[in-house]
Amino acid sequence: MDWEQLELNPRVVAALRKADIKSIKEVLNLSGADLQRLMKLSSADAECLLKTVSHWLRRNCMLTALQLYQDKDHFASQHQKLSLGCSVLDNLLKGGIPLVGITELAGESSAGKTQISLQLCLCVQYPYKYGGLESGAVYVCTEDAFPSKRLQQLIDQQHKLRADVPPEVIQKIRFGNNIFVEHAADLDTFHNCITKRISLLLKRGMVRLVVIDSIAALFRCEFGASDSVLKAQYLQMFGAQLHSLSTRFSTPVVCINQVWHQKCFSLYGDHFISCCVGVSVDNKVTPALGITWANHLLMRLMVSRVSQRDQLSGAVFHHTGNVRTLRVAFAPHLPPSFCCYTVELEGVKGIK
Amino acid sequence: MQRAVGSLPLGPALRARLAAAGFQTAQELLDTGPCGLSREIGISKEEALETLQVVRQECSGDAARTAGGAGTTRKCTALELLEEEQAQGFIITFCSALDNILGGGVQLTKITEVCGAPGVGKTQLCMQLAVDVQIPECFGGVCGEAVFIDTEGSFMVDRVADIAAACVQHCQLIAEAHQEEDHQKALETFSLESILSHIYYFRCRDYIELLAQVYLLPDFLSEHSKVRLVVIDGIAFPFRHDFEDLSLRTRLLNGLAQQLIIIANDHKSAVVLTNQMTTRIGQSQSTLVPALGESWGHAATVRLIFHWDKSQRLATLYKSPSQKESTIPYTITPHGFRDVQPPAVTQNTESTEMNPRKRPRREEEK
Repeated sequence: MDWEQLELNPRVVAALRKADIKSIKEVLNLSGADLQRLMKLSSADAECLLKTVSHWLRRNCMLTALQLYQDKDHFASQHQKLSLGCSVLDNLLKGGIPLVGITELAGESSAGKTQISLQLCLCVQYPYKYGGLESGAVYVCTEDAFPSKRLQQLIDQQHKLRADVPPEVIQKIRFGNNIFVEHAADLDTFHNCITKRISLLLKRGMVRLVVIDSIAALFRCEFGASDSVLKAQYLQMFGAQLHSLSTRFSTPVVCINQVWHQKCFSLYGDHFISCCVGVSVDNKVTPALGITWANHLLMRLMVSRVSQRDQLSGAVFHHTGNVRTLRVAFAPHLPPSFCCYTVELEGVKGIK
Repeated sequence: MQRAVGSLPLGPALRARLAAAGFQTAQELLDTGPCGLSREIGISKEEALETLQVVRQECSGDAARTAGGAGTTRKCTALELLEEEQAQGFIITFCSALDNILGGGVQLTKITEVCGAPGVGKTQLCMQLAVDVQIPECFGGVCGEAVFIDTEGSFMVDRVADIAAACVQHCQLIAEAHQEEDHQKALETFSLESILSHIYYFRCRDYIELLAQVYLLPDFLSEHSKVRLVVIDGIAFPFRHDFEDLSLRTRLLNGLAQQLIIIANDHKSAVVLTNQMTTRIGQSQSTLVPALGESWGHAATVRLIFHWDKSQRLATLYKSPSQKESTIPYTITPHGFRDVQPPAVTQNTESTEMNPRKRPRREEEK
């Protein structure tokens, strides 16, 4: 940090250099009293230093809510969303996945989480006016192999799913080229993947969607009951890193999570139920990784299969046995609601 | 600010140089800045800085004299303090049950902390308060402005617009029922755009930015003297990773708490913080407790814990100097933070009383 850039008294600059304080972070980590002691400054000087440094860091940071509301070009993250490729699902989410923040997709196995994520990887490549972000996606697999055959099927059928897009636009997009697949089966590889590879792809503007399939698998084997503190630290670190990448590059991060069955909770007692949002009494499952992970999420979506006897209305019977529900568990801008969908050859389609 | 340079307490040589360079008012000096000043009149940078400090002190001294000298210590009796506190405004939350257990609403000059699991409604309450602080006085509000510091990125302006529109509509209904002139006049300036324009939004991406923002708050609040609410959503998020040295974190949090207490007091604002929950593993069982540790528990004057009971949201008043501990249900509707409708709804339309806390029970559409 070049202290000359700030409007500081040369006496204070000399004291900073003598105390070997090189960055704004070091200055702000110290209180006024600490600065006085370390740099032998008067209290007025120390206060002035803190204010000057803060002012330099936070210049031009104020906005009013009205500016956020009206200026749709500069604040795309407030107004734009990543479409899911289906108007019914987009209506449930009031446009789609928010651009900044971690969205979680939790559910039992074969409920459709991977299908929705693959669909998102294709949707992100469309132009802005069709709900995409004109960029690629990075798909991180932590347990199974990447479903490339299914991806190819989806690519071939895009014209059928996206009837709203002119076919010449679809033909121009080289879908397969813009999906980057990473494999990370343990924590260190995953850490490496986030800090080096994903951040490089984001910096180059090659991707604007990160999918992690799944986050729970990373933590399944490695931690016993006594390692909960270490596990929490890893979760905090990954959550913070993903959040920071998402904020810096206005990129949605979609994390797939698995669910635990409530019978496993007898060990932890009732409080786990009270902390799991929106779990109704008859619902037997709750997302894995607990409250430590849930604190990092902007939005949580739950998917589940609808069993035959739970089907809600006559219309649903047309789609024999293949009906799933997508439910908003929590989001700052959405009420708790749900809709049904099916998984067709061309992709995930909502049922009105 | 328009003080002539000649009337400032500077040395004659300096004054001569300033006059020769063409400076006439104190404002021009402040606008030039120290580097420009040292260049233009040929003095060292250190002298320029000291000169500007003197100018600033003089000008703020003038302002303080005209404003009544805020910030100087004063002696007063407990009776005066009691009267002052009783006259203190509250920011209503639109959930009358919550307002009742808080003793009227979120109190000005105090720090209120809201803790809860993700998705329970902490950010919704913050957005509701940022709108409610602006309700005009004739409708029972404090007619203030709001500062919203967002560390998690969960501020969705469309949702705030919905909440603001519902609040305006509510006040319009009251005005229609009462037909008072000051109600109509107040409504002219109480619209969606004006509400949104008085919410000052700051996005802090890590704890350094948050600390810097809080250092700048006192000056900001002095400039924007109508601010009556400072929201930090959430205080825990930037402090829960990245700290190998927990004693540094405790020190920083304590410093932050002290600054917020001073801000709340000096500027007669309410400070509302949101906190996360964490698991404390005990001997035989584990419990959910507010995050950031035991010493942080002393920072807030009033602590609310939001939690779930099956699918009902509940708010518990956990810590308060004047109200007793109790739990009430609440709900989040498309209009914002509200009471739970009792099963037998008495359709009690605008009654002829002036207290807007007795809100009409409308059927909220889900």
